Amino acid sequence: MERMGEDGEDKLIAVARHIARTLGRTDTMADDILHIFSTFDGRFSREKLSDDLPAMSSLERRLREHVSSDRPIWSDSAAASAFLSALDDLIASGDLHPRADDLLQQCMLRLEDEFRALMDRPAGTIDSGDEEDDSDGEDRIPVAHPVPDYDIIIDAIPPGTVADLHSIATRMVSAGFAKECAHVYALSRRDFLDESVSRLGIRARTAEELQATPWEDLADEIARWVRAMNVAVRILFPSERRLCDKVFAGLSQAADLAFAEACRGTAIQLLAFADAIAVGSRAPERLFKVLDMYEAVRDLVPEIESLFSDQYSSFLRSEAVAIWKGLGGAIRGIFMEFENLIRRDPAKAAVPGGGLHPMTRYVMNHLRAACGSRHTLEQVMDDDGGGGVATVDHDRPSSSLAVQIAWIMEVLQANLEAKSKVYKDPSLGFVFLMNNGRYISQKARDGELGALLGEEWTRREDARVRRWMTDYQRGAWGKVVAVLRTDGGGGAGASVKALRERLRMFNAYLEDVWREQRGWVVTDERLREELREAVSGMVVPAYRGFLGRLRAAEGGRGVEKQLMMFSVEDVEARIGELFEGNARRS
Amino acid sequence: MPATDFQGSSSPFASIGRSILSLRRDQVHSMDGHHEPGSSQEQELEGFQRHVADLFQDLVGGEELLSLRWVRKLLNAFLICQEEFRVIFFNNRAVVARAPLDRLIAEFFERSVKALDVCNAIRDGIEQVRQWHKHLEIVTLALDPGLKTIGEGQLRRAKKALVDLAIGMLDEKDSGSVLAHRNRSFGRNHGPTKDHHRAGGHFRSLSWSVSRSWSAARQLQAIGNNLSAPRGHELMQTNGLAVPVFTMNLVLLFVMWALVAAIPCQDRGLQMHFSIPRNFPWAAPILSLHERILEESKKRDRRNSNGLLKEIHQMEKYIRQLSELTETIQFPLAEDKEADIRNAVQELSQVRESMKEELDLLELEVREMFHRIVRSRTEGLDCLSHHPE
Repeated sequence: MERMGEDGEDKLIAVARHIARTLGRTDTMADDILHIFSTFDGRFSREKLSDDLPAMSSLERRLREHVSSDRPIWSDSAAASAFLSALDDLIASGDLHPRADDLLQQCMLRLEDEFRALMDRPAGTIDSGDEEDDSDGEDRIPVAHPVPDYDIIIDAIPPGTVADLHSIATRMVSAGFAKECAHVYALSRRDFLDESVSRLGIRARTAEELQATPWEDLADEIARWVRAMNVAVRILFPSERRLCDKVFAGLSQAADLAFAEACRGTAIQLLAFADAIAVGSRAPERLFKVLDMYEAVRDLVPEIESLFSDQYSSFLRSEAVAIWKGLGGAIRGIFMEFENLIRRDPAKAAVPGGGLHPMTRYVMNHLRAACGSRHTLEQVMDDDGGGGVATVDHDRPSSSLAVQIAWIMEVLQANLEAKSKVYKDPSLGFVFLMNNGRYISQKARDGELGALLGEEWTRREDARVRRWMTDYQRGAWGKVVAVLRTDGGGGAGASVKALRERLRMFNAYLEDVWREQRGWVVTDERLREELREAVSGMVVPAYRGFLGRLRAAEGGRGVEKQLMMFSVEDVEARIGELFEGNARRS
Repeated sequence: MPATDFQGSSSPFASIGRSILSLRRDQVHSMDGHHEPGSSQEQELEGFQRHVADLFQDLVGGEELLSLRWVRKLLNAFLICQEEFRVIFFNNRAVVARAPLDRLIAEFFERSVKALDVCNAIRDGIEQVRQWHKHLEIVTLALDPGLKTIGEGQLRRAKKALVDLAIGMLDEKDSGSVLAHRNRSFGRNHGPTKDHHRAGGHFRSLSWSVSRSWSAARQLQAIGNNLSAPRGHELMQTNGLAVPVFTMNLVLLFVMWALVAAIPCQDRGLQMHFSIPRNFPWAAPILSLHERILEESKKRDRRNSNGLLKEIHQMEKYIRQLSELTETIQFPLAEDKEADIRNAVQELSQVRESMKEELDLLELEVREMFHRIVRSRTEGLDCLSHHPE
């Protein structure tokens, strides 16, 4: 209709054709109408009206028959191939006439419906062609079931159907209907993926909901998520990719588009869960589950990057990496919170008998367990975006994790020292510190935790325990031993009376200390022995010497029985009964 | 404890961008970070107020209200406010842990978490618009302005895409019934409209990140709950720091509200009252924007819209136009009809072009906003928890 000159006639003829086509339900009818026109006016000669019609008509008749069929064409493979070959003839004719083009478009719309029906056909009813099956096909979307082994591929659509789909896709893409085809494909696959992921126990949750979920439930959800994530990335998405590559074989752009559209929602939903967990509470008990998530994402990132390497999915690649980093941040946050909890643990409640504090036990065991994931944690700590912890002290282990752990140990020790001040008797405070210090250094001696803290650290910790031991001895026994010390040199020995008085005092002190410290606790057997030996080593020789001096002062006569309540052996025995805790006596 | 072992070398002020993990050593040990209530802090606070006002004033004037570009500019304004707030917060970290500021800040972080869900819902909404965009591409592909003639075939294809698009754009509450009437009839003789089952937007996509029962309107209400300007004693007790906290709360609320207004998302609702005392310099621009957006939502042709985004409006307009034109079409095409169609397609092509890149950018920026909110909250919580009570 470019030029007006011929336009009038062109249009007239076009109208006539249009009328014939609209009114003529069949080709014969159309033909009849055209015949009537041609007899009506010279301008409507049969030649003009049907310049290209004769060649079309048989092809057109065949195609129109298919297009208007109420039954799915692909329910009958012979019909399907007849349709396709007619369609190919139409495409091959290169006919650009509007009427041929319209027919082509109608065929395409029909192909789209056929494609959708094939996509949604339940796997079990490959050749049934029963329309009733199709009407509720959606309820029977085949889904993936949880599997133990990730090294499998799902064939959600039987090979025969895949071949049919491919034959349709090829025609649609070549006729410029790639977008429609990819879209229909993606919608159907999205249903499959949605359903599969929800069968794996994953549903859309907001960050707020997750914050309100009790931890035990959340821990279960995380375990499910880790599994679902693996199933999705190792099985579902690769299977989708493979299916897509088959259906759209040789049509890589359409394949990429279809694949990206199909997987995007599911992938985002899965990643959003990790996002929500990463911003959630930072209670220490979460560490291990969040580590699981971190490791899962970290291990899957290479696969995600290769799966979603097409132009349409770059968003998912960067999302996955961002979430991986986000989980790392959450882990660092949990460590920080852990440290805060230790620092803020109140010093009010003293452990009876100066024994091991539950916090010490918790912290050390938590750290030991955490160090089971040492490699991952080192990665996480080194990835601390700021790169702030740069100062390396030669006495200290230098990895970020080591620094972090050493720091937590310092916070722990500072808190324990504050707690030791709660004891009214400073000596008991030292026993408390020794108990906890020894526990710490034992827990830190071996394993990954020991390796991280290093020998130097353990040596220093041991030295601290020894110092407390000395402090204890001085505090608890200094007075006792001082009584036995007769002022050397001075007068030729103190008077007998004075010595006797000292013995009485010693007896009272020893009795007191024994009564008191019998109830104190030293949990570690070796420490208990060491402590007793140290006390014996301090007291017994002094006592023996004192007795010698007393006997000498008494002029060889024995010391009075009432006065000498304890033999040297008795003193040793009493010392040997210290630190057993009350439990043993009851 | 040898705190110096762990300290970074740079000064705390230069290290705003550094992770808090490396900074906290200073915080724990330097309790002397107390600011003299002198000029520098006052200047900082006043500067923040003015800057927020400028940013929002810019949004009143500059880009066309509610266009994709405008929305992106809004996000950018938010990010700038957030960053400056972070700096103020950090510079005053010695006092943020004291009552009542600690409570005010904790509440702000609570609101931030709620905003994260809005971000996710908006991301899904953008995806929704992208789905429409795909149909739009088909329409403009079928009726390519470069075509010499518009044939019946092309028109049929375009009409189908238009129907898909129209269904996709129906509000969720209406779409259910359409989907319930899926008709898988194979014959073309029932007319094209019967074949649009599952056409258009895939409605489930709206709940990738939020559950079915989630409501944007309720979420906004929750963010706005108990939000009121600081009272005199609060100002005194907080050294004036209650003001930036309130400011940031309001900025957060307004930005989330505007996003929900512009972008499709689950259960939108714009009934929200912003009570801001006029003496805040940013009150005027924000209230003016609020009013104008509300006005827009009340316009007759926008009332049932699922997003006030200008581009959505244009899409709706030209789609309606094109649908009406194609509905009554007779072949051969009358010249004026054809010109009208070509005109509408031309307009749609322009909308399509302008949306494509902007949508991608907006999506990235919404994600950026998400991450920045998370980061700021995390660092803030660290700051709070590192000050022994």
